[in-house]
Amino acid sequence: MNKESEAFKGTISRDFVKKEALKNNLFLFVLAISLILTFIIYLVLSGEFNFDLFLLLTLVCVIIPYLIIAPISAWYFAAYKRSFSYIIQENNIVINHGVFTKMRATIPYKRIQNINIVCGVFDRMFKTYTVKIETAGHSAVSSGTKSRGIGPEGYIPGLKDPHIIENRIKEMIFKSSLPPEGLEENIFKPNELAFDNFISYILSKMREGELLQTSIKELRENADMSASQLAERVGVPLQTIQYLEEGRYNPSLVLAYKIAEVLDCTIEELFKLK
Amino acid sequence: MKFKNKVKSHIKELREEYNLSQQELADKIGVSRQTIYYLEKGSYNPSLTISFKIAEVFDDKRLKEIFYQEPVIKDILKNKTLEELDRIASKVGITTQKLIQLTKIDDDQLNENYSEHELEKIAKNLDSEFDDLFEE
Repeated sequence: MNKESEAFKGTISRDFVKKEALKNNLFLFVLAISLILTFIIYLVLSGEFNFDLFLLLTLVCVIIPYLIIAPISAWYFAAYKRSFSYIIQENNIVINHGVFTKMRATIPYKRIQNINIVCGVFDRMFKTYTVKIETAGHSAVSSGTKSRGIGPEGYIPGLKDPHIIENRIKEMIFKSSLPPEGLEENIFKPNELAFDNFISYILSKMREGELLQTSIKELRENADMSASQLAERVGVPLQTIQYLEEGRYNPSLVLAYKIAEVLDCTIEELFKLK
Repeated sequence: MKFKNKVKSHIKELREEYNLSQQELADKIGVSRQTIYYLEKGSYNPSLTISFKIAEVFDDKRLKEIFYQEPVIKDILKNKTLEELDRIASKVGITTQKLIQLTKIDDDQLNENYSEHELEKIAKNLDSEFDDLFEE
Protein backbone atom coordinates (compact mmCIF):
# COMPACT_ATOMS: atom_id res chain seq x y z
CA MET A 1 0.00 0.00 0.00
CA ASN A 2 1.34 3.43 -0.60
CA LYS A 3 2.42 5.18 2.50
CA GLU A 4 1.11 8.65 2.04
CA SER A 5 1.73 9.37 5.64
CA GLU A 6 2.20 13.08 5.55
CA ALA A 7 0.95 14.14 8.90
CA PHE A 8 -2.27 16.05 8.92
CA LYS A 9 -2.21 19.42 10.56
CA GLY A 10 -5.43 20.91 11.83
CA THR A 11 -6.48 24.10 13.51
CA ILE A 12 -9.44 25.10 15.58
CA SER A 13 -12.33 27.11 14.31
CA ARG A 14 -12.72 30.87 14.55
CA ASP A 15 -16.00 30.22 16.28
CA PHE A 16 -13.90 29.28 19.27
CA VAL A 17 -12.75 32.90 19.47
CA LYS A 18 -16.31 34.14 19.22
CA LYS A 19 -17.44 31.71 21.85
CA GLU A 20 -14.74 32.65 24.32
CA ALA A 21 -15.32 36.33 23.65
CA LEU A 22 -19.02 35.89 24.34
CA LYS A 23 -18.32 34.04 27.57
CA ASN A 24 -15.92 36.70 28.61
CA ASN A 25 -18.23 39.55 27.75
CA LEU A 26 -21.09 37.95 29.61
CA PHE A 27 -18.89 37.57 32.62
CA LEU A 28 -17.68 41.15 32.46
CA PHE A 29 -21.26 42.31 31.96
CA VAL A 30 -22.44 40.51 35.07
CA LEU A 31 -19.51 41.91 36.98
CA ALA A 32 -20.29 45.40 35.75
CA ILE A 33 -23.94 45.17 36.75
CA SER A 34 -23.07 44.01 40.22
CA LEU A 35 -20.54 46.78 40.64
CA ILE A 36 -23.04 49.35 39.52
CA LEU A 37 -25.63 47.98 41.89
CA THR A 38 -23.09 48.15 44.66
CA PHE A 39 -22.42 51.79 43.93
CA ILE A 40 -26.09 52.61 43.84
CA ILE A 41 -26.72 50.89 47.14
CA TYR A 42 -23.72 52.58 48.70
CA LEU A 43 -24.66 56.00 47.49
CA VAL A 44 -28.26 55.64 48.56
CA LEU A 45 -27.33 54.27 51.95
CA SER A 46 -24.79 56.98 52.56
CA GLY A 47 -27.56 59.45 52.62
CA GLU A 48 -27.66 61.20 49.34
CA PHE A 49 -27.53 59.98 45.82
CA ASN A 50 -24.87 62.02 44.19
CA PHE A 51 -25.31 61.45 40.49
CA ASP A 52 -21.95 62.88 39.56
CA LEU A 53 -20.19 60.64 42.04
CA PHE A 54 -22.10 57.69 40.69
CA LEU A 55 -21.08 58.51 37.15
CA LEU A 56 -17.48 58.93 38.15
CA LEU A 57 -17.41 55.63 40.02
CA THR A 58 -19.05 53.84 37.14
CA LEU A 59 -16.65 55.35 34.67
CA VAL A 60 -13.53 54.57 36.63
CA CYS A 61 -14.47 51.18 38.00
CA VAL A 62 -16.61 49.73 35.29
CA ILE A 63 -16.39 51.37 31.92
CA ILE A 64 -12.69 52.07 31.63
CA PRO A 65 -11.62 48.65 32.86
CA TYR A 66 -14.07 47.08 30.48
CA LEU A 67 -12.72 49.09 27.58
CA ILE A 68 -9.27 47.87 28.49
CA ILE A 69 -10.05 44.25 29.35
CA ALA A 70 -12.43 43.46 26.48
CA PRO A 71 -10.08 44.16 23.58
CA ILE A 72 -7.14 42.58 25.38
CA SER A 73 -9.00 39.39 26.02
CA ALA A 74 -10.38 39.40 22.49
CA TRP A 75 -6.82 39.68 21.27
CA TYR A 76 -5.78 36.89 23.61
CA PHE A 77 -8.41 34.46 22.38
CA ALA A 78 -7.58 35.21 18.78
CA ALA A 79 -3.91 34.70 19.55
CA TYR A 80 -4.70 31.45 21.32
CA LYS A 81 -6.65 30.21 18.33
CA ARG A 82 -3.78 31.16 16.06
CA SER A 83 -1.32 29.35 18.26
CA PHE A 84 -3.42 26.24 18.38
CA SER A 85 -2.75 23.37 16.07
CA TYR A 86 -2.90 19.63 16.24
CA ILE A 87 -0.94 17.25 14.11
CA ILE A 88 -2.16 13.77 13.45
CA GLN A 89 0.86 11.60 12.90
CA GLU A 90 1.18 7.92 12.34
CA ASN A 91 1.51 6.88 15.95
CA ASN A 92 0.54 9.87 17.96
CA ILE A 93 -1.25 13.15 17.99
CA VAL A 94 0.63 16.34 18.75
CA ILE A 95 -1.14 19.35 20.17
CA ASN A 96 0.49 22.76 20.02
CA HIS A 97 -0.89 25.67 21.94
CA GLY A 98 0.02 28.65 24.06
CA VAL A 99 0.12 32.38 23.53
CA PHE A 100 3.03 33.30 25.77
CA THR A 101 4.51 29.93 26.64
CA LYS A 102 4.47 27.61 23.66
CA MET A 103 3.40 24.18 24.72
CA ARG A 104 3.39 20.90 22.92
CA ALA A 105 1.70 17.71 24.04
CA THR A 106 2.54 14.49 22.27
CA ILE A 107 0.07 11.70 22.85
CA PRO A 108 0.67 8.23 21.47
CA TYR A 109 -2.57 6.62 20.35
CA LYS A 110 -1.72 3.53 22.31
CA ARG A 111 -1.81 5.46 25.55
CA ILE A 112 -5.17 7.05 25.06
CA GLN A 113 -7.45 5.74 27.78
CA ASN A 114 -10.47 7.85 27.23
CA ILE A 115 -11.77 10.48 24.90
CA ASN A 116 -14.45 12.85 26.10
CA ILE A 117 -16.26 15.08 23.74
CA VAL A 118 -17.91 17.96 25.42
CA CYS A 119 -20.49 20.31 24.02
CA GLY A 120 -21.32 22.92 26.62
CA VAL A 121 -23.93 25.62 26.47
CA PHE A 122 -21.69 28.02 24.62
CA ASP A 123 -20.38 25.26 22.39
CA ARG A 124 -23.91 24.53 21.28
CA MET A 125 -24.44 28.14 20.29
CA PHE A 126 -21.51 28.11 17.94
CA LYS A 127 -21.70 24.47 16.97
CA THR A 128 -18.24 23.65 18.21
CA TYR A 129 -16.98 20.69 20.19
CA THR A 130 -14.25 20.26 22.73
CA VAL A 131 -12.25 17.07 22.68
CA LYS A 132 -10.54 15.93 25.85
CA ILE A 133 -8.05 13.11 25.56
CA GLU A 134 -7.05 11.30 28.70
CA THR A 135 -4.06 9.06 29.07
CA ALA A 136 -2.87 6.76 31.80
CA GLY A 137 -1.20 8.25 34.81
CA HIS A 138 0.02 11.74 35.16
CA SER A 139 3.07 11.68 32.94
CA ALA A 140 4.25 15.11 32.01
CA VAL A 141 3.69 14.76 28.32
CA SER A 142 3.22 18.45 27.78
CA SER A 143 6.24 20.55 28.39
CA GLY A 144 5.83 23.67 30.43
CA THR A 145 3.45 24.51 33.18
CA LYS A 146 -0.19 23.74 33.43
CA SER A 147 -2.26 26.39 31.82
CA ARG A 148 -5.87 27.31 31.81
CA GLY A 149 -8.04 24.49 30.65
CA ILE A 150 -5.44 21.77 30.44
CA GLY A 151 -6.63 19.07 32.82
CA PRO A 152 -6.49 15.95 30.67
CA GLU A 153 -3.36 15.36 28.62
CA GLY A 154 -4.91 16.44 25.41
CA TYR A 155 -7.37 19.23 24.99
CA ILE A 156 -8.75 20.53 21.71
CA PRO A 157 -11.41 23.21 22.00
CA GLY A 158 -13.44 24.74 19.23
CA LEU A 159 -13.53 21.83 16.85
CA LYS A 160 -16.05 22.33 14.11
CA ASP A 161 -16.18 19.24 12.03
CA PRO A 162 -15.21 15.99 13.67
CA HIS A 163 -15.20 14.20 10.36
CA ILE A 164 -11.98 15.77 9.28
CA ILE A 165 -10.12 14.39 12.26
CA GLU A 166 -11.92 11.12 11.96
CA ASN A 167 -10.94 10.61 8.42
CA ARG A 168 -7.35 11.62 8.80
CA ILE A 169 -6.77 9.57 11.92
CA LYS A 170 -8.17 6.68 9.97
CA GLU A 171 -5.85 7.23 7.05
CA MET A 172 -2.92 7.50 9.39
CA ILE A 173 -3.33 4.52 11.59
CA PHE A 174 -5.60 2.19 9.71
CA LYS A 175 -2.95 -0.37 9.02
CA SER A 176 -0.67 -0.34 11.95
CA SER A 177 -2.40 0.59 15.13
CA LEU A 178 -3.87 -1.65 17.71
CA PRO A 179 -6.97 -0.39 19.46
CA PRO A 180 -5.96 2.03 22.22
CA GLU A 181 -5.17 0.12 25.37
CA GLY A 182 -7.71 0.37 28.10
CA LEU A 183 -10.28 1.94 25.85
CA GLU A 184 -13.01 -0.68 26.03
CA GLU A 185 -10.68 -2.95 24.19
CA ASN A 186 -13.19 -5.58 23.33
CA ILE A 187 -15.38 -3.28 21.36
CA PHE A 188 -12.61 -2.36 19.05
CA LYS A 189 -11.53 -5.71 17.77
CA PRO A 190 -11.23 -7.20 15.20
CA ASN A 191 -8.58 -5.00 13.71
CA GLU A 192 -10.22 -4.16 10.46
CA LEU A 193 -13.34 -2.90 12.18
CA ALA A 194 -11.48 -1.62 15.22
CA PHE A 195 -10.93 1.79 13.84
CA ASP A 196 -14.41 2.18 12.43
CA ASN A 197 -15.94 1.19 15.72
CA PHE A 198 -13.64 3.49 17.60
CA ILE A 199 -14.67 6.45 15.52
CA SER A 200 -18.34 5.51 15.62
CA TYR A 201 -18.01 5.51 19.38
CA ILE A 202 -16.59 9.00 19.35
CA LEU A 203 -19.14 10.27 16.88
CA SER A 204 -22.09 8.89 18.82
CA LYS A 205 -20.88 10.63 21.91
CA MET A 206 -20.76 13.83 19.93
CA ARG A 207 -24.17 13.36 18.51
CA GLU A 208 -26.36 12.19 21.33
CA GLY A 209 -29.22 13.97 19.69
CA GLU A 210 -28.89 12.13 16.44
CA LEU A 211 -29.20 8.55 17.41
CA LEU A 212 -30.30 5.98 14.96
CA GLN A 213 -33.27 3.81 15.66
CA THR A 214 -32.40 0.18 15.35
CA SER A 215 -34.35 -3.02 14.94
CA ILE A 216 -31.38 -5.33 15.17
CA LYS A 217 -32.77 -7.24 18.11
CA GLU A 218 -36.10 -7.97 16.44
CA LEU A 219 -34.59 -9.02 13.17
CA ARG A 220 -32.06 -11.12 14.99
CA GLU A 221 -34.77 -12.87 16.98
CA ASN A 222 -36.85 -13.38 13.84
CA ALA A 223 -33.87 -15.18 12.40
CA ASP A 224 -33.68 -17.31 15.56
CA MET A 225 -30.24 -16.07 16.38
CA SER A 226 -28.69 -15.23 19.70
CA ALA A 227 -26.63 -12.09 20.12
CA SER A 228 -23.45 -14.10 20.46
CA GLN A 229 -24.22 -16.06 17.32
CA LEU A 230 -24.74 -12.83 15.44
CA ALA A 231 -21.54 -11.44 16.87
CA GLU A 232 -19.61 -14.49 15.76
CA ARG A 233 -20.99 -14.48 12.25
CA VAL A 234 -20.39 -10.78 11.75
CA GLY A 235 -16.97 -11.12 13.31
CA VAL A 236 -17.21 -8.67 16.19
CA PRO A 237 -17.24 -9.13 19.96
CA LEU A 238 -20.54 -9.73 21.71
CA GLN A 239 -20.22 -6.37 23.39
CA THR A 240 -20.40 -4.59 20.06
CA ILE A 241 -23.71 -6.25 19.23
CA GLN A 242 -25.03 -5.47 22.68
CA TYR A 243 -24.04 -1.84 22.42
CA LEU A 244 -25.65 -1.59 19.01
CA GLU A 245 -28.86 -3.18 20.21
CA GLU A 246 -29.01 -0.82 23.14
CA GLY A 247 -28.66 2.04 20.69
CA ARG A 248 -25.52 3.16 22.44
CA TYR A 249 -23.66 3.91 19.33
CA ASN A 250 -23.96 4.17 15.61
CA PRO A 251 -22.13 1.70 13.43
CA SER A 252 -20.05 2.51 10.43
CA LEU A 253 -21.42 1.72 7.02
CA VAL A 254 -19.20 -1.33 6.68
CA LEU A 255 -20.36 -2.84 9.94
CA ALA A 256 -23.96 -2.16 8.97
CA TYR A 257 -23.38 -3.92 5.66
CA LYS A 258 -21.98 -6.97 7.41
CA ILE A 259 -24.89 -7.24 9.80
CA ALA A 260 -27.38 -6.79 6.97
CA GLU A 261 -25.65 -9.57 5.08
CA VAL A 262 -25.78 -11.97 7.99
CA LEU A 263 -29.40 -11.19 8.82
CA ASP A 264 -30.34 -11.19 5.15
CA CYS A 265 -32.05 -7.84 5.16
CA THR A 266 -31.40 -4.30 3.99
CA ILE A 267 -29.59 -1.71 6.05
CA GLU A 268 -32.73 0.42 5.97
CA GLU A 269 -34.65 -2.33 7.74
CA LEU A 270 -31.99 -2.47 10.41
CA PHE A 271 -31.50 1.22 11.09
CA LYS A 272 -33.43 4.44 10.68
CA LEU A 273 -32.55 8.04 11.31
CA LYS A 274 -34.56 9.26 14.27
CA MET B 1 -10.94 -17.11 1.79
CA LYS B 2 -12.78 -14.00 0.85
CA PHE B 3 -11.91 -10.66 -0.66
CA LYS B 4 -11.62 -7.82 1.75
CA ASN B 5 -13.84 -4.95 0.68
CA LYS B 6 -13.81 -1.27 1.04
CA VAL B 7 -16.71 1.05 0.63
CA LYS B 8 -16.90 3.24 -2.44
CA SER B 9 -19.62 5.57 -3.54
CA HIS B 10 -21.38 7.09 -6.49
CA ILE B 11 -21.67 10.38 -4.71
CA LYS B 12 -19.79 12.34 -7.31
CA GLU B 13 -22.00 11.19 -10.16
CA LEU B 14 -25.16 11.71 -8.14
CA ARG B 15 -24.00 15.10 -7.11
CA GLU B 16 -23.50 16.09 -10.73
CA GLU B 17 -26.85 14.65 -11.65
CA TYR B 18 -28.51 16.75 -8.99
CA ASN B 19 -26.42 19.76 -9.90
CA LEU B 20 -24.84 20.19 -6.51
CA SER B 21 -21.37 21.40 -5.73
CA GLN B 22 -19.37 19.71 -3.00
CA GLN B 23 -19.98 22.71 -0.78
CA GLU B 24 -23.71 22.65 -1.38
CA LEU B 25 -23.97 18.98 -0.58
CA ALA B 26 -21.83 19.48 2.50
CA ASP B 27 -24.12 22.29 3.69
CA LYS B 28 -27.19 20.18 3.17
CA ILE B 29 -26.00 17.41 5.39
CA GLY B 30 -24.10 19.53 7.86
CA VAL B 31 -20.49 18.55 7.28
CA SER B 32 -17.51 20.28 5.80
CA ARG B 33 -16.62 20.25 2.14
CA GLN B 34 -13.52 18.26 2.99
CA THR B 35 -15.67 15.41 4.25
CA ILE B 36 -17.47 15.24 0.93
CA TYR B 37 -14.14 15.32 -0.83
CA TYR B 38 -12.83 12.38 1.19
CA LEU B 39 -16.07 10.50 0.67
CA GLU B 40 -15.85 10.87 -3.07
CA LYS B 41 -12.21 9.91 -3.07
CA GLY B 42 -13.28 6.68 -1.40
CA SER B 43 -10.70 6.85 1.36
CA TYR B 44 -13.28 7.05 4.07
CA ASN B 45 -15.77 4.69 5.63
CA PRO B 46 -18.66 6.95 6.62
CA SER B 47 -20.88 6.60 9.62
CA LEU B 48 -24.39 5.39 9.07
CA THR B 49 -25.87 8.74 10.04
CA ILE B 50 -24.01 10.56 7.30
CA SER B 51 -24.87 7.83 4.84
CA PHE B 52 -28.56 8.20 5.57
CA LYS B 53 -28.40 11.96 5.33
CA ILE B 54 -26.77 11.68 1.94
CA ALA B 55 -29.44 9.26 0.82
CA GLU B 56 -32.05 11.77 1.92
CA VAL B 57 -30.54 14.46 -0.25
CA PHE B 58 -30.70 12.17 -3.23
CA ASP B 59 -34.42 11.54 -2.88
CA ASP B 60 -34.15 8.72 -0.35
CA LYS B 61 -32.25 6.36 -2.55
CA ARG B 62 -31.35 3.07 -0.99
CA LEU B 63 -27.93 2.97 0.54
CA LYS B 64 -26.93 0.14 -1.74
CA GLU B 65 -27.44 2.40 -4.73
CA ILE B 66 -25.13 5.06 -3.37
CA PHE B 67 -22.48 3.03 -1.58
CA TYR B 68 -21.05 -0.19 -2.79
CA GLN B 69 -18.36 -2.49 -1.67
CA GLU B 70 -15.40 -3.32 -3.80
CA PRO B 71 -12.45 -5.59 -3.15
CA VAL B 72 -9.46 -3.60 -1.98
CA ILE B 73 -7.27 -5.50 -4.38
CA LYS B 74 -9.31 -4.39 -7.36
CA ASP B 75 -8.36 -0.78 -6.84
CA ILE B 76 -4.71 -1.62 -6.45
CA LEU B 77 -4.57 -3.73 -9.59
CA LYS B 78 -6.53 -1.23 -11.63
CA ASN B 79 -3.89 1.38 -10.97
CA LYS B 80 -1.02 -0.72 -12.21
CA THR B 81 0.27 -0.52 -15.76
CA LEU B 82 0.38 -3.63 -17.89
CA GLU B 83 4.14 -3.84 -17.54
CA GLU B 84 3.93 -3.71 -13.79
CA LEU B 85 1.29 -6.44 -13.86
CA ASP B 86 3.50 -8.58 -16.11
CA ARG B 87 6.38 -8.14 -13.74
CA ILE B 88 4.35 -8.99 -10.65
CA ALA B 89 2.76 -12.01 -12.30
CA SER B 90 6.10 -13.46 -13.28
CA LYS B 91 7.52 -12.87 -9.82
CA VAL B 92 4.62 -14.79 -8.33
CA GLY B 93 4.80 -17.48 -10.97
CA ILE B 94 1.39 -17.07 -12.55
CA THR B 95 0.19 -15.67 -15.83
CA THR B 96 -0.69 -12.00 -16.12
CA GLN B 97 -4.16 -13.09 -17.12
CA LYS B 98 -4.61 -14.91 -13.84
CA LEU B 99 -3.50 -11.84 -11.95
CA ILE B 100 -5.97 -9.63 -13.77
CA GLN B 101 -8.75 -12.14 -13.14
CA LEU B 102 -8.63 -11.12 -9.50
CA THR B 103 -10.47 -7.94 -10.45
CA LYS B 104 -13.36 -9.82 -11.93
CA ILE B 105 -14.12 -12.87 -9.85
CA ASP B 106 -16.14 -13.48 -6.70
CA ASP B 107 -15.24 -15.24 -3.46
CA ASP B 108 -16.16 -18.70 -4.70
CA GLN B 109 -14.04 -18.44 -7.80
CA LEU B 110 -11.26 -17.07 -5.63
CA ASN B 111 -11.21 -20.21 -3.54
CA GLU B 112 -11.45 -22.50 -6.53
CA ASN B 113 -8.60 -21.03 -8.50
CA TYR B 114 -6.10 -19.50 -6.11
CA SER B 115 -4.11 -20.97 -3.31
CA GLU B 116 -3.46 -19.09 -0.13
CA HIS B 117 0.22 -19.26 -0.88
CA GLU B 118 -0.22 -17.60 -4.28
CA LEU B 119 -2.32 -14.87 -2.74
CA GLU B 120 0.29 -14.21 -0.10
CA LYS B 121 2.94 -13.77 -2.76
CA ILE B 122 0.66 -11.52 -4.74
CA ALA B 123 -0.02 -9.38 -1.70
CA LYS B 124 3.68 -9.03 -0.97
CA ASN B 125 4.37 -7.99 -4.54
CA LEU B 126 1.70 -5.37 -4.31
CA ASP B 127 3.45 -3.87 -1.29
CA SER B 128 0.74 -5.14 0.96
CA GLU B 129 -0.15 -7.95 3.33
CA PHE B 130 -2.42 -10.91 2.85
CA ASP B 131 -4.58 -9.71 5.74
CA ASP B 132 -5.19 -6.35 4.10
CA LEU B 133 -6.55 -7.85 0.92
CA PHE B 134 -8.20 -11.09 1.99
CA GLU B 135 -9.89 -12.62 4.95
CA GLU B 136 -10.96 -16.05 6.10
